[in-house]
Amino acid sequence: MLRKTLTDDTFYLNMGPQHPSTHGVLRLLLRLDGERIVECEPVLGYSHRGHEHMAQTRSYLRFMPNPCRMDYLAGLMYNHAYCLAVERACGIEAPPRAQFIRVICAELNRISSHLLWFGAYLLDLGGFTPFLYAFDDREDVLSILGEITGSRLTYSYCRFGGVARDLTPKFIELTKAFIPKLRVRLKDYDTLVSKNVIFINRTKDVGVITKEQARDYSVTGPNLRACGVPHDQRRCEPYSVYPEIDFEVITADGANGEGDCYDRYLVRMQEMEESLRIVEQALQRLPEGPIRAKGVAQEPAPPPGAYQYCYESARGMLGIYLVSDGSRVPVRMKWRTPSFSNLSILPILLPGTLVADTVAILGSLDLVIPEIDR
Amino acid sequence: MVERFETPPPVQLGILNQMLDLCRANSLWPMTFGLACCAIEMMAAGASRFDLDRFGAGVFRPSPRQSDVMIVAGTISKKMAPIIVTLYDQMPAPKWVVAMGNCAISGGPFAYEGQYAIVNGADRFLPVDVYVPGCPPRPEALIQGLLELEDQLTGGAKRNYLRRFKRHPGNDQE
Amino acid sequence: MSQNESLAVILESSPQVTQLRRASRENDGFDFSLSIEPKGIPELARMLKDQGFFLEYLTAVDYGQTMELVYSFSKWIEPDRVQAVCPAWPMEAAPSICGVFPAANWQEREVFDMFGLEFKDHPDLKRLLLIQEEGLHPLRKDFVAGPQHSGDVVETEMV
Repeated sequence: MLRKTLTDDTFYLNMGPQHPSTHGVLRLLLRLDGERIVECEPVLGYSHRGHEHMAQTRSYLRFMPNPCRMDYLAGLMYNHAYCLAVERACGIEAPPRAQFIRVICAELNRISSHLLWFGAYLLDLGGFTPFLYAFDDREDVLSILGEITGSRLTYSYCRFGGVARDLTPKFIELTKAFIPKLRVRLKDYDTLVSKNVIFINRTKDVGVITKEQARDYSVTGPNLRACGVPHDQRRCEPYSVYPEIDFEVITADGANGEGDCYDRYLVRMQEMEESLRIVEQALQRLPEGPIRAKGVAQEPAPPPGAYQYCYESARGMLGIYLVSDGSRVPVRMKWRTPSFSNLSILPILLPGTLVADTVAILGSLDLVIPEIDR
Repeated sequence: MVERFETPPPVQLGILNQMLDLCRANSLWPMTFGLACCAIEMMAAGASRFDLDRFGAGVFRPSPRQSDVMIVAGTISKKMAPIIVTLYDQMPAPKWVVAMGNCAISGGPFAYEGQYAIVNGADRFLPVDVYVPGCPPRPEALIQGLLELEDQLTGGAKRNYLRRFKRHPGNDQE
Repeated sequence: MSQNESLAVILESSPQVTQLRRASRENDGFDFSLSIEPKGIPELARMLKDQGFFLEYLTAVDYGQTMELVYSFSKWIEPDRVQAVCPAWPMEAAPSICGVFPAANWQEREVFDMFGLEFKDHPDLKRLLLIQEEGLHPLRKDFVAGPQHSGDVVETEMV
């Protein structure tokens, strides 16, 4: 039994697994003293589908549809990371045009993920309008990505050694039209939301994560950058074509090394602007050439050994640890998903706060529960 | 496949029943029950581009006590199945279930030899009325599924003058 | 790089390290891979935390006859990645590093859940993701899904 017999005035409240704001199926067992939270225990596993078991029992090619379904909001980034990991293991490198295309698509996916986060976070806090506007912008991104990948949410567009299809002129035209439009919209969101007094009251000094806590609990991604740590895999361990692209790592000015919900919001909004810059530069520098490397086996069989790949996904640091014994089926594929560590900090952030703050803190961490449960 | 279980209403109202069915069909209130990826497409169907509100179904209720239709969107894990049954039992009759996405229909991409964690579809333990295939289904597909459910309630264009939508020539609709 | 050299010296001097191998970031993804006895894990973790490392992940690999625990530590901003491998089953259980890195709490629970490996002195070692079933450790190589795991068997009573 998860619940202890209580001898004081506190009581248990079950938040989830079905709750409008748990971003997936997360159950939070909250022990409350009136309206204040005394203890919090997340119960996981309601979305466990056995991805790592599937990785162990099928070949690398047959596992391709799975990564995008782990974190469906950043599906193309997970697909990209998986292809990069297997390419590192096999020693293949994708041609430059394919790398630029992958980066363009990954950054567009980051924008769509942050837009959905923005809409859903404001919806949780009670504002319905940004949700509708954010989804409208998101539909533009999904049409752009759907132009070459063929799907809206779960992409398997990257292949081992390149990408599946080349960019069409319509893709480039749609992207070039989208970038200024989103810039205007981001300014609108800033005016609507960032100075809104209700939003500020609900998110300032709420859910403060210090640098020590972030290190203890392995928090990564925009949550870490909101504490003032400029750690971004794209800059610290550059992969693909990021060394050639000029972009800034956005941190909140955590002068005292702390990040609250408002800082995390600001970091993500600014990151969308940086992603637009990356897409612009990548479109300018897009070279001609093939989109798939030659001589890559349909079913790759990496040499025996252990390989690791670290990638900056929309939520944080995604790590893929791959153990191969030379055959087409991996011995072990571990997915180090960012939301797993980001959620583990919740039991120390919540005690002492109000129940209403739970929603604000949970939303600001930007969790996707199926990637925790895998 | 689980059969629907509903006792007939104690008072039969004749032609008024058809009116009530029409009213129910035009204001189906779904429950926010997204489990995995299909939940995002369900949210997109309720958002601005593919508005579900124009069909009366945009009012997503978080509480099962206030909703008519449960859209099971996403993979059903074994840990989650008893909770879904509890939620279904909490919904007041008349209630319907839409299985959205391949996972809710038959386990989807996660049903394979050696799977230990999921249930192969919502119809193993719930009476499903409409299946919407896709992985994930486009929001338009979900809208078509809800319209199909509404047709099941009202008898569709065959019976009901008010439900005769103007259809495009070339579509194979009845 | 001098930083890597000083890290190598520190790692080699850590107790219970049986082998230190240098790897390359482009080919393998980490800088050092060391084999360590289970007893030496908390000391290594403490030392790395003092150097500014954080725990990326902690997992296990089942090779059929043996299992190994794999720890990965990395740093912020200039990541040096250190991977520590220690033998697990059928050897003795490894001690928990929850006292050093609280992030390991859930990671160790997940390893226990998926592989059945226990950790000594873990504050609350129970299942994290799976249903409460005795003997269900699916990532082991000898796991075979039984008829009760079939997708058509549904338990609909709330526990």
